This record gives sequence, structure tokens and C-alpha cells, in this order.
Amino acid sequence: MQAKFVNPFVSGAQEVVGMVLAVEPSLGQLAARPRIFTSQQFNVTCGITGDLAGQIIYGMSLQTAEAITKKMLGDALVPNEELAASALSELGNMISGTCSSKLHSAGYTCDITPPTIIQGTNVSISTIDIPALVIPLNLPGFGVLEINVSLKERAVAQAA
Amino acid sequence: MAKRILITDDALFMRVTLKNILTQNGFEVAGEAANGKEAVQMYQDLKPDLVTMDITMPEMDGLEALKQIRDLDPEAKVVMCTAMGQKNMVVDAVQAGAKDFIVKPFQPDRVVEAVKKLLAA
Repeated sequence: MQAKFVNPFVSGAQEVVGMVLAVEPSLGQLAARPRIFTSQQFNVTCGITGDLAGQIIYGMSLQTAEAITKKMLGDALVPNEELAASALSELGNMISGTCSSKLHSAGYTCDITPPTIIQGTNVSISTIDIPALVIPLNLPGFGVLEINVSLKERAVAQAA
Repeated sequence: MAKRILITDDALFMRVTLKNILTQNGFEVAGEAANGKEAVQMYQDLKPDLVTMDITMPEMDGLEALKQIRDLDPEAKVVMCTAMGQKNMVVDAVQAGAKDFIVKPFQPDRVVEAVKKLLAA
């Protein structure tokens, strides 16, 4: 996957997470995988369509998911499972939306699909046979948010 | 009488968050729609003073719902409230009649200011 798709995700995720969770995230070691895959317990997936096609998975441990939910819901909201799942989906949606705007500035007009939650480890998305890049963001006090980005340009996607 | 607002967002979390912000600032939430289709129907049923509208939603997206609501009522006040802040989206929404465009994540004040400004007009 081309590096030019990576920077919008790194900066977009840092901006959104920084604002929503009020932390300064730091970037961990990037890694490549032959296809999109997550070994995390709690995952939010979001599709990208338009000039780029592919999938993003935001993966985290249950502990991190709980800590993020607690922060997002605050004291004003009575927590329940549905609201917690919705908050985490919305975090994925906001990161994807912000990244999509950055991709637009880089010359790629994209849309995003509504997020889906997958709970359970060792999930791979078999229909998407595009190499993935893993971007780990360390969120002090929350844990690690692992962003799996698997994208390719539309012309290539159509030909495949 | 408190001004009545229809909230449209597929995320329960965002509907609850917007509802809290609006009610804490003296507005009444007339209804909550989870997609564009529901919003169009609820707009006709509830006749709210203003609508907040997400864009990325299942069933019918916010841009289509905006167009349908403006067809029903050319004076409708619709504020887009979405994670999709790219220029083409803003242009499309404004051309379709959106009165403001709030990009998520937002600060509560941004929402309150936009709503107050539009409802004072």
C-alpha cells in the first residue's frame, strides 16, 4: 500500500483522538500485513469508497474500549452496552471522516460507509485482498488503538 | 416557547450527545431520526424549527434527506453535522440548501452558536 495513504490516517487519527479523549497520542511502530487482519478484542470497521477502495479496522483491547467509552460518555450519560458500542463506532466514524477529508486534499475523493462493530479476536476480512498497514497509536491512560488500513486506488481495484 | 429541533444521526451516542447539548441550552428536542428516511417523515409529522443532519447514514444519507426536506419546505433550516468535512461535501450541502456545516468532532459551543444564530433569524 502506498505511503501517501498513510499520513492522512496518522494525522487524522491523532487530531480526532486528541480532541475527543483529550490526550496526546504517540505513534508506535508501523507494520505491514499481507492482508487486513485484527487480533484485537474489540474492533470497529469502516469501508472507504470512491477514488480509493478498501477497509479500515480500528482495533483495541476490551480494557481500552472500556476506558475510551467511559471518557466519551462522561458523567452526564448513563452508560449501557448499546450506548458504549455507539460511542466507539462514532469514534471510528469521526476518524474515518477526518482522514477522508485529508485524502480529499491529497487528490482522492472518498466516501465512508457507516461503521460496524466486530467483537472477537483473529478476525480477517476475507474479501479484501489488499495488503494492510498497521498504525498503532499509544493513548496515554487508555491503551493502544491499532488502526489497520487497507486501501487501493479505484482503477486498480476495478481491474483486480 | 422553546424552539423545537429534530436530531438526525445513525449513532445513538451522537443523538444523546446532541440532545444533552440542546436541552441544556433551552431548546426542545422534537424528535430523533436514525437515518435520512426517518428524518424526512419526521419533518412532515413534527414540523420542527430546525433539523441537525448527519451525512453518512444507512437507508438514506443526509444529503438526500436534506434535498427532500427542502423540496417539502423551501424555508427548512437544516444544519449538517458530520464527520465528512471535505470541501465537496460542504459545497454539495450548501448548494442543496444547508444553512450551516458542523464537522465532528465538535465542541458543544459550536452547535449552540449555530442553532441560536439560525433560530434568531
